[in-house]
Amino acid sequence: MHPLERLINLVALLLEARRPLAFEEIRALMPAYQQQDAASAKRMFERDKDSLREVGVPVEVSSTDVWEVEPGYRIPKDQYYLPELAFTADEVWALFVAAHAPGESGEAEQAFQKLSAGTETNVLAAMAERAPAPGVDPSGPHLGAIADALARRRALRFKYRPAQGKAGQREVEPYALVFRSGHWYLVGRDRGRKDIRSFRLSRLMSPVKEVGEAGPPPAGFDASRQLEAGPWGLGQPVETARVAFSPKVAWWAVPAVPKAQVRRTRRDGWVDVDLPASQTDSFVSWVLSFGPDARVYSPKAIRDQVVARLEALAAHA
Amino acid sequence: MPDSRSSRSTRASDRLRRLLVVVPYVVRHPGVPVQEITRLFEVGEAELLDDLNMLFVSGLPPYGPGDLIDVQVEEGRVWIDMADYFARPVRLTRSEALALYLKGKALLGAPGLEEAPALTSALTKIEGGLGEQTLAQLAERVAVGGGGHAARALAAVRSAVDGREGLEIEYYSASRDQLTARRIDPEHVFSGLGNWYVVAWDHLAEDERLFRVDRVRAVRPTGEIFEPRGLLGAGRPLYTRSDRDITVRLSLGPSAHWVAEYYEIERVVQHPDGHMDVTLPTKDLAWMAKLILRLGGEAKVLEPPELARMVTDEARRTLALYRREAPKGGVGGTGRPGPKSPGG
Repeated sequence: MHPLERLINLVALLLEARRPLAFEEIRALMPAYQQQDAASAKRMFERDKDSLREVGVPVEVSSTDVWEVEPGYRIPKDQYYLPELAFTADEVWALFVAAHAPGESGEAEQAFQKLSAGTETNVLAAMAERAPAPGVDPSGPHLGAIADALARRRALRFKYRPAQGKAGQREVEPYALVFRSGHWYLVGRDRGRKDIRSFRLSRLMSPVKEVGEAGPPPAGFDASRQLEAGPWGLGQPVETARVAFSPKVAWWAVPAVPKAQVRRTRRDGWVDVDLPASQTDSFVSWVLSFGPDARVYSPKAIRDQVVARLEALAAHA
Repeated sequence: MPDSRSSRSTRASDRLRRLLVVVPYVVRHPGVPVQEITRLFEVGEAELLDDLNMLFVSGLPPYGPGDLIDVQVEEGRVWIDMADYFARPVRLTRSEALALYLKGKALLGAPGLEEAPALTSALTKIEGGLGEQTLAQLAERVAVGGGGHAARALAAVRSAVDGREGLEIEYYSASRDQLTARRIDPEHVFSGLGNWYVVAWDHLAEDERLFRVDRVRAVRPTGEIFEPRGLLGAGRPLYTRSDRDITVRLSLGPSAHWVAEYYEIERVVQHPDGHMDVTLPTKDLAWMAKLILRLGGEAKVLEPPELARMVTDEARRTLALYRREAPKGGVGGTGRPGPKSPGG
């Protein structure tokens, strides 16, 4: 008998069983397990059970009698079936787009197939009418494991290669996963550095290992606030900078900054903007990247840093 | 689990996984075309028919009359009866749910996506409805930021891609630091690193080009329908080398090492003092000068000398903005980006 046939029969049997079935009972009902050698039949059954679990079929083990000697097996219907989620056609389409975006896709596609098989919506009709799927960036192989640890508040150990500085071991209590500009970041407490840090997943150099329980984030920690900074990086801005942009760049530079406030547009087209900022190298670098198309007015500290760097560059020749 | 027969058993479990979604779909859509199944579940027709045949001899042990699953395939359509226990699909595994949920979240990070509202509501249903605690707990611990730019031109560009319609665009090219007018035939739109890109045939360059949609300042459909040239879409490299590239050599200080992994570089020489010499090809020097400004002293130009001159020139022009008198009243002394331009 083909293994697939055996697996289908096993699912049907355990799903329809009104009480847990001992292996001997299963064996009596399924010729596939009726070979001479009972031990090898049992091994085959164990492997099948693992295959079912791998696919997401919940095989429950409980005792078949009050003495709890003989284990019994069944598949509880309430745990087996996908709940009815009643997706609209648009939602199914959106999930299709998400599942088929480039990147790690196998499991996301399987998830989509299960969800779409459970809808009454005519999925294909919805798909046929629409444009091809836009892509997002690959998310890295560790995303699932990290998300899982984050949900269960487990600390993680991994090898990390920062953008600047040496690679090394990190032990982190995860607080949040943040997606920004095509990258996933893990934000959490770095136990070695005793501080909240962010780690870009694509810089992980090893799989993650769970190392016990993680503490909760400090009171008031808010994952979404990590995203308040502009294109220059992650983190919570601490002050407001006034920057003017030339008409050549203002129209795309200003919308790129969350919570940027346009103060006025000058007669020559330059636009004065208040930006949430911080006195960090990355903010200063970002302003400098516009060259003569951006000028910082305030705060003085940021302005001075920008000028100092420009003077150094101008002196080079 | 993996054992000597793992290849066979893996295949069987993969096929089971597929059947446990195909069967419910067919039960819910009696007479569904074979082609719809093969497309939706990404399975070859022969493979699918093989699976359905297997299903036909399966059923509920001890296989009394009426216990076998009834499968009919006629004129390219499929019916399945006697499989009520397979009428609904199996639940998602934890890792499947996580994978789809996080990909959906990441897609929401592509700004201006028209599917965003539907995707948001679908993900909310998944968070609450999958029984597992995992997703419900994760919901408040995952944040997605627009990051890139809300591309105003996105809707117009996507619809031109769908309709294979040519566009006239006004485009800011960062590599040349210029606004230009172009006529393009857009073939694909995709998002990468938080930005939307359009792959198009550029009539001005008579070549294929990649444009960032948020740098499209104005867009107008030309009304001309084009024949796609089969340009590569999502997943393509954002930079492709060409013979006309200029070779640039930079010396990077420790805090500028990220350049080596962010951009396509050709050669790296690591010095013991922490400096790194990199060789990188580029089509234009304008953006490279901006990059070096951004690195503010952490990068030195080794080659070509004209790039070094551009950098000092840019730095001086920028500095001039700060050296001017403080603005008086309505007109800013910061006026124009050239030291020679009159005040304001």
